[in-house]
Amino acid sequence: MVDVTNHELVPDHTVLDDEELEEVLQEYNIDKPDLPKIQRTDSALPKEAEVGDVIKITRDSRTTETAVVYRLVVK
Amino acid sequence: MTGHDVSDDIEVFVEETNLPIRLRNELYSTLEERDVTTDQAEKIVQATVSEYEESRVDPLDPVGTVSAQSIGEPGTQMTMNTFHFAGVAEIDVTQGLPRLIELVDARKEPDTPMMNVFLEDEYAENRERAHEVVWKIEATNILQLGDVSTNVADMLVQVSLNEDTLDERWPTVDDPVQVAEEIAATIESNLDVETVQQGLSIEFGPEEPSYRDLLQLVEELREITFKGIEEVSRVVIRKEETDQGEQFVLYTEGSAFGDVLELEGVDASRTTCNNVHEIHKNLGIEAARESIIDETMNTLEEQGLGEVNIRHLMLVADIMTNNGEIESIGRHGISGSKNSVLARAAFEVTVSHLLDAAIHGEIDELDGVTENVIVGKPIKLGTGDVDLRMSAEQQAD
Repeated sequence: MVDVTNHELVPDHTVLDDEELEEVLQEYNIDKPDLPKIQRTDSALPKEAEVGDVIKITRDSRTTETAVVYRLVVK
Repeated sequence: MTGHDVSDDIEVFVEETNLPIRLRNELYSTLEERDVTTDQAEKIVQATVSEYEESRVDPLDPVGTVSAQSIGEPGTQMTMNTFHFAGVAEIDVTQGLPRLIELVDARKEPDTPMMNVFLEDEYAENRERAHEVVWKIEATNILQLGDVSTNVADMLVQVSLNEDTLDERWPTVDDPVQVAEEIAATIESNLDVETVQQGLSIEFGPEEPSYRDLLQLVEELREITFKGIEEVSRVVIRKEETDQGEQFVLYTEGSAFGDVLELEGVDASRTTCNNVHEIHKNLGIEAARESIIDETMNTLEEQGLGEVNIRHLMLVADIMTNNGEIESIGRHGISGSKNSVLARAAFEVTVSHLLDAAIHGEIDELDGVTENVIVGKPIKLGTGDVDLRMSAEQQAD
């Protein structure tokens, strides 16, 4: 299998730890299920990611330098 | 410090603002060009900041409606013609409105699937190495390799292979007879027949003499893919200026993105295809989102509608990929999954939505915009969501 994380269309995916997650949820004043989703089978997902984890995605943005978004891993 | 030729004072002004980096860089280069005094620069920076803040989205701004209008209006000027030779490589690509519709509908398979294959290292520099990759991708069938004839008297299908074609399509194998053996083996395993291979000719026939079976075998023979990827019918090779210098780039008619990424010589970090579902499957949802934005923007740009702001297309792509999989905009996708009965009924197939809702005893909470417009209540957008009350004391003043 090719390593898709090197593809220029694929931004950085990292698993968020509990502390960071708490900060994010507080900052936006939302619950975990309100986040956008990412499937567990997604090719760009880090190997250690499990259902219920929140992934931090750092994109090269077209409008600012970088944009950070979060996705919840679902089945 | 920032690599721009402006005084330190000016740099401090610019760096103290909360402008995004692109805007800051543009600001620097303008200030550099105009050769302004520090006072003038300060005013320019202030004006830029206020213009920037002015253009930001206000709370309760209906961004979705604005996006719909901003894409829809220029869309009315797009061509209805489906086919056109795209600027690159004589390959037919669906453009204009049909392509835009195909993208937002998230069709499983685009009308004209294609791939843009980048090569790596010497494959990208050397035409012959690049051709090796071409023959690994383009599907080769029997008619391209030689002549097929049917001998009715002996009940035989006779294939005589063309030596030049074999040399061309199997550049890594020196002996064409070896290729012929390979081809004979492929025929045997695919058609379940015994073949007699001698030099560059291959003969085989049905088990029992039968005219129908003979013709059937010829038909099936034509379907076999001897080399390359079945889905790809044509590959065009072009020398192009890329961000890594002048390189050979392949354009394909038909796509099999996953298979191509695995091939030796293919640069798996730049190769793309125009099927967003294939991108999703192989590269994940975030890449699919990027791809939707790129494809929609390119479609608009090709029609001379490049002034549509990229933010609108980003919003569309965000919504389509919000669920972790690609959803279409329309009654089978986003609009069909709204909570409100009235909002769904307002979109398409009104009666069946109302009927289903009645059967299931659904309740409309009137939370959204559409349903409140229908019942004639103020909508929760803009000033509609803000309550202003004046206290008794203030009234006295």
